[in-house]
Amino acid sequence: MSSETQIQEFRKIYNDLRQEIGKVIVGHESIVDGTLFALFAGGHVLLEGVPGLGKTLLVRTLSQVLDLSFNRIQFTPDLMPADILGTNLVVEDDNGRRAFQFQHGPVFAHLLLADEINRATPKTQSALLEAMQEHSVTAGGAIRKLEEPFFVLATQNPIDQEGTYPLPEAQLDRFFFKLLVTYPTGPELNEVLTRTTENRKTEIRQVITRERLVEIQSLVRQVPVASHVKDYAVRLILATHPKSETAVAITNQYLRFGSSPRGGQTLILAAKVRALTQGRFNVSFDDIQAVLFPTLRHRLILNFEAEAEGITTDMVLQQILKDVPKDASVAA
Amino acid sequence: MLLMDSLDRIQSALYQAARRRRLQQALLGMWKGFFCGILLWVLSLIIYKLAPIPFDFLVYSGITAAIMTLVGFIWGWNRPQTLLQTARWMDLTQNTEERLSTALELKDSSIEKEWKELLVKDAVKVVDNLDIKKGISFSLPRVSRWAFLLLLLGFGLGFVPEYRTKAYVQEKKDVKNIQETGKQLAELTRRSLQQRPPAMEPTRKALENVAELGEVMAKTELTRSEALKDLANMSDKLKQETREMADSPAMKALEKAAKSSSKGGSGGAPDLQKQIDKLSQQLGNQAANPDALEKFKKDLEQAKELAQNLPDKNSPAMDAAKEKLEQALADLSKQSKDMGMSLPSLDEAIAALQQSDIDEVLKDLAVAEVSLEKMRDMAKTLEKLQMQMEKLGTDLAEQLKNGQAEAAQNTLAKMAEQLQSSKLTPEQLQKMLEEVSKATKPASEYGKVGELLKQAASEMQAGQKSEASKSLAQAGDELSKMISEMGDAQSILASLEALQRAQMSIANGQSWSNSDVPGMNSKSGQGNGQPGRGVGTWTDEDSWVYPEFTDKWDNSGITQQEMEARAQTDRGDGGLADNLVATKVKGQMTPGGPMPSITMKGVSIKGTSKVAVKEMVGAAQSDAQAALSQDQVPRAYQGAVRDYFNDLKE
Repeated sequence: MSSETQIQEFRKIYNDLRQEIGKVIVGHESIVDGTLFALFAGGHVLLEGVPGLGKTLLVRTLSQVLDLSFNRIQFTPDLMPADILGTNLVVEDDNGRRAFQFQHGPVFAHLLLADEINRATPKTQSALLEAMQEHSVTAGGAIRKLEEPFFVLATQNPIDQEGTYPLPEAQLDRFFFKLLVTYPTGPELNEVLTRTTENRKTEIRQVITRERLVEIQSLVRQVPVASHVKDYAVRLILATHPKSETAVAITNQYLRFGSSPRGGQTLILAAKVRALTQGRFNVSFDDIQAVLFPTLRHRLILNFEAEAEGITTDMVLQQILKDVPKDASVAA
Repeated sequence: MLLMDSLDRIQSALYQAARRRRLQQALLGMWKGFFCGILLWVLSLIIYKLAPIPFDFLVYSGITAAIMTLVGFIWGWNRPQTLLQTARWMDLTQNTEERLSTALELKDSSIEKEWKELLVKDAVKVVDNLDIKKGISFSLPRVSRWAFLLLLLGFGLGFVPEYRTKAYVQEKKDVKNIQETGKQLAELTRRSLQQRPPAMEPTRKALENVAELGEVMAKTELTRSEALKDLANMSDKLKQETREMADSPAMKALEKAAKSSSKGGSGGAPDLQKQIDKLSQQLGNQAANPDALEKFKKDLEQAKELAQNLPDKNSPAMDAAKEKLEQALADLSKQSKDMGMSLPSLDEAIAALQQSDIDEVLKDLAVAEVSLEKMRDMAKTLEKLQMQMEKLGTDLAEQLKNGQAEAAQNTLAKMAEQLQSSKLTPEQLQKMLEEVSKATKPASEYGKVGELLKQAASEMQAGQKSEASKSLAQAGDELSKMISEMGDAQSILASLEALQRAQMSIANGQSWSNSDVPGMNSKSGQGNGQPGRGVGTWTDEDSWVYPEFTDKWDNSGITQQEMEARAQTDRGDGGLADNLVATKVKGQMTPGGPMPSITMKGVSIKGTSKVAVKEMVGAAQSDAQAALSQDQVPRAYQGAVRDYFNDLKE
């Protein structure tokens, strides 16, 4: 199959996915897009929003439209790493011989919903580190590869912080996107109420197979990026590094730490997906800008001054977008 | 192949875009340069309006603005862009979402050919839809609006008056005045040097120094004190020189003679004779007697009075009065003819009287009166000139004594000539010897002249006529030399006067033409002993006692239609314009009381009034009445003048 055909097919799949998800999820287009971008780029998503906005429903719907295995972990303070990864159990066989046998944890699925991830202890949260980055689990002295695609969708609640454990920076960095789920608008809420308070059954069809998804993930990586566009992404990442030559004023004022190189990788990958969804074969500055916020908002660490003044990372990124020119040579 | 074609299309479009882009950049650079230039110019203008910087600053900033515009164009033109840069720029400005630049950049990269084709195909689609001419238009950039706005601001500022302190304005006025004065001084001195080249080297140098000083003042910007200092120094030098010249006794004698003579100087006898002849010719035989003219004038005034007091036409006394007037006029006409005067207006008056046109009679009589006035003045002048002529020395001794050097020189020349002549009788020689011997004493004040005359006298006694002639000629030469020195002294005095005038002009802040030196006007320079015009009530009396006689002076025979007299009613009542109507000022001037102090630049008038206001008013009124009755006031103003002086009574 030629690349052009693949791309056309990708666009069709993408639109079908949106359509199917849209049957269940009212509004939240940017969240759906962001989740799909991360899915096609092979990244994980952290959804943040107050309870009852449909985060879990989104993930569940996603699992239905994709031909993927789905597991859900409800994170609680007493959840242990073994509860996620699995553990070795002593098992007696038919001959009466006892042996250790690895019991797979819920992580062994294509699609994992880590619900209220910040309620578990850091120890438990860290159990996901290897799985998310390496797509493998080390347990009982053996490394076990997870089946591709592996996709973690975590949710967290920004309020009711008592008894929660904020995700460590290393953990956050492993999330491809952090999407902020906001309240629905009036018409959207109206539609939500209609759909959920009546005896209406929504039929959702599967749109994509696991194999096709893996192919698309490979296709995304082939999308070419011009040097000046890549340079723009680099300048944006460098602009987030406080006290450096490339830093912009707001970075120096409000940031303690900037984005890691992983942020840059994520930026380009997400931009590539967006370019394909827009029917283009190249990444543009607009693509970079469009995915900048979900890509970097959880990778920037605010300083005390920013916290005190109520500055958010989105505000900082907004200013960085203004301060960093698209094409330095042309702008000059 | 298809890929290459597509790439060519993209590149072709980009070349076209690059060319237009270059021109656009040049124009943008030009506008930027213009904006910067105009900003500079407006700033300069603002500074000029607020601070006393030279006007040249504005001119230079304007030139800089023009240069900056040109430099901006060149700068913009000299920034050629590569195709890739153009592609990137096109992507940014034409919203082609980096399709062109990516296709162009990655056409030679290692990515899969399939992807290259996709990129190029996508880019070609974009290029096909692009209208490069429309996309890269040469419309006015935003900076041009600001430039025009600044230009408008500059235009508006042009109407704003400059803020300058009074001191600065005065200083500038002074500088201008000093330069103008310097120019005038230099011109005057140079002209003097050309017209009357000095005989002595020091005089020439001194005058050239004055001219140079004038040129320096005209060219450089001197302050008032500097200019005055320079002028004072130069004046001191000239005064010193004048003093040195004046130390010579001969000079004193010449100066004395110059002072005592009015116009002719030390040797004006021929000139005086010429003027006397001319006046005599004009006046006729007997008219030279001013007393007779005065008597005639009185008779004329009586006749005029008669005409004014003529009774009404219908009155029975009219005929008698008319007859009496006719008789008086006939007598006057006869008298004038006897005196050799030509008064045609008298005959016209008689003719008018016969036609009972009294107004015409009065008019003709007034004309006759004016003509008579003129004749009387001429007669007085003639008398004065004759008296002056009489003052001229009759012999060499007197001439030398009176300082009439030119006359003495002429006498000496005649004597030398006579001595050379063979026709000289012993009596004449004896007489000449006596005259020369008599002149030796006054000649002793003329340096060598005295010795030469003594020598000539002894030679004449010895019968050495030829040697005596030579000695007399030498004495004449010596006198001539002295006359030249006197001329130099006069040049220096004139220059000194010019310097003082320049000083006054600069000190008073007045222009050269408005400045005159009290006591140093042209007359006083010749030593007439009067202080000249300026402060006070002195006047140049000679101007009416000795009028300048030229051929153009007497215009009585010339009739100009546009200047012909008209009836009084022709011009209405002769009211004055509003700004000329006299205003009454209630003063408190009493005899002996303090006079208001009037301080002008450099001159202060203070004093005590010595004349009662009533007396002064009376005198003024009588003068005005006289002027009115003699038709010296234009008819159009007669009513207004009469009203004004009548009001003074109140």
